[in-house]
Amino acid sequence: MQKSNSTRLSLHQIHKHFGVAPRIVEVLREISFEIASGQSLALVGPSGSGKSTLLHLIGTLDQPSSGQIEIGGQNPFTLSEPELARFRNAQIGFVFQDHHLLPQYSVLENVLIPALAQRNHSTGNEERARELLQRVGLAPRLDHFPYELSGGERQRVALARALIQQPGILLCDEPTGNLDRATAQTVVDLLFELHREQRNILIIVTHSMELAGRCERRFELREGKCCAV
Amino acid sequence: MLRSLIYYRRLHLAVALGAAVTTAVLTGALLVGDSVRGSLRDLSLERLGKIDFAILSEHLFRQNLAEEIAQQPSLQSHFGNPVAALLLNGSVTHGASQARAVGVNVNGVDRKFFALFEEDSASAHARSLTRKSGQPFAPVMINESLRRELQAQAGDQILLSFKNYSDIPRASVMGRKQAEDLTETVRLTITRILPDRGVGRFGLRTQQYLPFNAFVALPVLQRALRRPDEINALLVPAAHDSSARFEQQLQQALQKSLRLEDAGLRVQQFENYFSLTSRGLILKPALVELAHEIADSLQLAAQNLLTYLANTMRREARTVPYSTITALQTPVPSAFGELDLVNGAPAPALAEDEILLNDWAAKDLAVEVGDTIALSYYVVGEREQLRTQHHTFRVNGVVQMKSLAADWRLAPPIPGVDEMENMQDWQPPFPVDLSAIRPQDEKYWDEHRATPKAFISENAGRSLWRSRFGDLNAMRFAAASPPELSAACRAFETALQQRLTPQEAGFTLSPVRAQSLKASAGATDFGGLFIGFSLFLIVSAVLLAGMLFRLGVEQRAKEIGILLATGYALRAVRRRFVQEGLLVAGIGVALGSIAAAGYAAVMITALRTWWIDAVGTSFLFLHVSAQSLLIGAALSLVIITAAIILTIRQLRKIPATALLHGVTARDRQAPPRFAKMIGGVALALSLALIALAIRPGAQAPAGIFFGSGALLLLAGLAFFSAWMRQRRTTHRLQNVLHMAGRNTARQSGRSLLSTTLVSCACFMIVAVGANRREAGTETEKRDSGAGGFMLMAETDTPLSQDLNSPAGRAELGFAEEDSLLFQQTEIFPFRMLPGEDASCLNLYKPQKPRVLGITPESRKRNGFHFQAAVENNLENPWQLLERELEPNVIPAIGDYNSVQWILHLGLGQDLEIQNERGEAIQLRFVGLLQSSIFQSEILISEENFLKHFPGPSGYAYFLFDTPADSAVRVAQAGERVLSLYGFDAVATADKLAKFQAVENTYLSVFAVLGGLGLLLGTLGLGLILARNVMERRGELATLRAFGFQQSTLAKMLLAENGWLIFSGLLIGTIAALLAVAPHVFSQNAQVPWLLLGGILLLVGMVGLLASAAALSFSFRVPLLPALKAE
Repeated sequence: MQKSNSTRLSLHQIHKHFGVAPRIVEVLREISFEIASGQSLALVGPSGSGKSTLLHLIGTLDQPSSGQIEIGGQNPFTLSEPELARFRNAQIGFVFQDHHLLPQYSVLENVLIPALAQRNHSTGNEERARELLQRVGLAPRLDHFPYELSGGERQRVALARALIQQPGILLCDEPTGNLDRATAQTVVDLLFELHREQRNILIIVTHSMELAGRCERRFELREGKCCAV
Repeated sequence: MLRSLIYYRRLHLAVALGAAVTTAVLTGALLVGDSVRGSLRDLSLERLGKIDFAILSEHLFRQNLAEEIAQQPSLQSHFGNPVAALLLNGSVTHGASQARAVGVNVNGVDRKFFALFEEDSASAHARSLTRKSGQPFAPVMINESLRRELQAQAGDQILLSFKNYSDIPRASVMGRKQAEDLTETVRLTITRILPDRGVGRFGLRTQQYLPFNAFVALPVLQRALRRPDEINALLVPAAHDSSARFEQQLQQALQKSLRLEDAGLRVQQFENYFSLTSRGLILKPALVELAHEIADSLQLAAQNLLTYLANTMRREARTVPYSTITALQTPVPSAFGELDLVNGAPAPALAEDEILLNDWAAKDLAVEVGDTIALSYYVVGEREQLRTQHHTFRVNGVVQMKSLAADWRLAPPIPGVDEMENMQDWQPPFPVDLSAIRPQDEKYWDEHRATPKAFISENAGRSLWRSRFGDLNAMRFAAASPPELSAACRAFETALQQRLTPQEAGFTLSPVRAQSLKASAGATDFGGLFIGFSLFLIVSAVLLAGMLFRLGVEQRAKEIGILLATGYALRAVRRRFVQEGLLVAGIGVALGSIAAAGYAAVMITALRTWWIDAVGTSFLFLHVSAQSLLIGAALSLVIITAAIILTIRQLRKIPATALLHGVTARDRQAPPRFAKMIGGVALALSLALIALAIRPGAQAPAGIFFGSGALLLLAGLAFFSAWMRQRRTTHRLQNVLHMAGRNTARQSGRSLLSTTLVSCACFMIVAVGANRREAGTETEKRDSGAGGFMLMAETDTPLSQDLNSPAGRAELGFAEEDSLLFQQTEIFPFRMLPGEDASCLNLYKPQKPRVLGITPESRKRNGFHFQAAVENNLENPWQLLERELEPNVIPAIGDYNSVQWILHLGLGQDLEIQNERGEAIQLRFVGLLQSSIFQSEILISEENFLKHFPGPSGYAYFLFDTPADSAVRVAQAGERVLSLYGFDAVATADKLAKFQAVENTYLSVFAVLGGLGLLLGTLGLGLILARNVMERRGELATLRAFGFQQSTLAKMLLAENGWLIFSGLLIGTIAALLAVAPHVFSQNAQVPWLLLGGILLLVGMVGLLASAAALSFSFRVPLLPALKAE
């Protein structure tokens, strides 16, 4: 079931600003770090410090203003839009604070959606989705719809969806931000369990020091700069 | 508010444009109505020049009457001088090419007539009608339309034929019916071609078609008719704008100026009596009644007289040919002379079967008192053919040939007889056997002329010889004492002149201008019609404006949430948005009002060109009225405001917290069970209706199929709705197209709305558009719109001859070989009262529709298809015309289309017209025909026709039951031989096609405007997509985050919208095709598949393009922020 993950992520002198002169807002400055498969990293910092922006840059959803990001030795921003989409589909999984499940699809279908992106749908994907859902404890709820699930269950579906393509990097943006403490605990346990199993790079943006504490590395973003804590 | 307006200017501009489109279409439609009405009005004013009233008569009257009326003081301040004219109908044949035109207005006029139009050119026109020395034939001016028809030019010669005038009714025994007496023909030279405007358009009949006009100098026509100084029309110009209000004064002036001779009457004084006679040889019953009233008031003795011609008086082997017999009151009052028996005693009162012979006849027949003699005489039978009848009388006495018995004045002056020296020279208007005339008859003629040879009672005479025109040919009056006779005669004449109304005298005073302007309101309200045609366009524009406004509101949902959260009352927030909306809508409406003129101009241009079949005239111009602009603007503003208020009102259902998150809609997903149930029931009903429709002997299957189609539409939409709501857990997503299909269910209400809009519009466009039919393919069937008749024809001059008999055809000039053509043809003649076309071909509202009198044979033949009748299941619904209704209510049959849409009446309703005596009569519709050839007229029984319109003689409308293969030859022979009578034959199929062309054109207009509405609606769908994309930014961003390419997402979204559009098109089209299945599979269907397919394809394409545009716009909005918490 698991494909071997040996992805390395490196960020070198990443800058990100928004706006145009003279109203330029510099969000990220001189961000550099590397992280290898099997490692987990927490990004903490106050609101507006650029945590999510950094996560989007790593997730190739946005481009850095300067600097270089390499994933598995490749700079994804040199790719064309379709190649980048394929790259993201294969290499990156997202879990958002708001689960962003699609209400018109069932639990199983939501998990399968990334597999449909590149026209590589197969019965193998469905088996894997079922296994993942069983793994996150939602096997009895395959045909349920998002509105029939609790917040924790939704986030678990989102986690299964993020892992369906066995990405090398799993990016989580405040994955427990909308959950109560007990549910959050369950989701986090599951997250780390799967991370350990799949040996991917896990990067979590969070305000929760408790969650951050469970990661191997922790970076704090202050005034656009990143420092290890 | 200004800040908001500026900040959201793009959205507001879009809303304003939506409002502008609504206003432009709505107001534009009203302006189309204005333009049609205005153009008809202009047309009326142009063709009438300065003419306000027309005084018309069925008979000719003195030309001097014009001057005498002009001298009436009551008239001078309100009207100009009446202009004398001879207005006839006729036909023209081009001298060289033999090209012919029928239905030509033959106008005998002078300079004064032309001055009614253009004073400047009047003299020039009059000069053009003055015969120059060396010109072999009198001049004629024709209008451009007639020139085109004849392919003639100035200098060419034409033969002008028109109906001859006869004072004696042709349908009476003494009337001249012979073919050669019916028409007059003159050869003329064209001196000028008048343009089809101004006087060239002259015509008293309200129609939008260009008339054929020929103008001839008045004396030329008078000479041709051998009636110098006589006319049949006075055209009265208005002196000022409000002249129309002074009809009463004009009526009085006419009455004061009329002389008895203008009514064809004559009062003559003799030694001991004075008489009242008519040029028509028959006194109308109303006149007789009036004369008696006057005589009574003057204490005069009155004697009614009816002198008739007996072809034979026979007793056994002895026969006296051609004798006059007088019916009179017996015993005869002494004031009128003596009627004494040979024994000196006064003749006694006669019973109805008794007769008195003069002693010459008694001797000739060798009869004695008590003997029986047989009389044979002509009467007018069916189809105005002379029929010989016989009656026997018992001889009551023999009278001496003196005094009244020797009065040759008792016999009316029969033309062709009276003036003849010898009986052998007679040229009477009826057949005579001159060989039967004996020397003693000639001797009697020499000595006594037409002095009656016998006398019968007044009652007997009236009952035997009564005709529809009357039953007396003279009245005599005597004073109490002979010296008073002169004074009494003068008093009688004066009283009769004063009391005889113009109507009784045979005159009609028509306020032609007022009538024409009234008719300009049109039979069809084109404003309403175009609003109907543009309904989808209007609804789409309103939906578009509402949707755009809603989009704006949704974009500002957070603003609303904040306002509510900071303490603003919902009402205040709503008011603020409504005010903003109103301002924007107001700007849009103002812009739309300007655009409305453009829209109307395009529609008018289209009506003048592509859709000319609907109006039949290119004389349509844009007319813009402030009233329509205001109504259109106000209506549009109300509609748009209502849409805005409805949009804003929906906000109250959304909690402020949701609004703060930008949520503006709550879609409740009802389970599909209900939709499935509705779909199931609708489908079952639809199938049941089909089963009902296809069962043998089904009634009105077309209506059932339409209902079935509508139910199928409902079922289709219900199943579509159920499908969207279905939890698809059994079928897994395989690709983005599957995803697109599933996505449509995300906002199922909105998706259903889109599909419903498209499918309903599509249903209407296809169902209405597919109704186009090619008329006349089944004319040979008796129950078709042509009633099984292949040909129909009209003549300018009514014919009395029997076209079904070789003798009748021979009299009309058919050669034997032509006559043979008619052997397999049966011709059904109809009496015709000229009037206005009551069909959709006439844009004017008919004031006095054309009436046909249908003969008993035609009624008995049955035929045509009745759409409705007051009594169902009648084997022959034409019998309804024979029903006796209330007094002055006549059963009538009309075509459903004309009665419903042009006369705006229905089954059982009455149309009021005036009969010949000027009395109001009601034509009650007892039956309505379906799409028949009788769309231009109303049908009543011949019996009722003759009762109320005894004047018109002969038949001027004919239907030919002829084999299809000989129809063309029959028509050609008829037109060739009967050209003098203005015979014009058309195939019934062509006539039906002409009517159908109007309907088909309306269907095309509906299809095109409906298609435009659908296009606009499709643009609205593009907006829905844009709105969906805005709402689903988070979803789309998530999909991108998981590796979906932008192009894949675009494809998915396009597929979503395409699915909605094509589902709508498919559901609507299938349902519509079922609805019109009986028509589509009928022989005469002419479904414009190409046009309909083109419209639907265009709609699909535009829908996709609009969606693509909406996507392109939506994808410009960055998606990433949506990934953050919503």
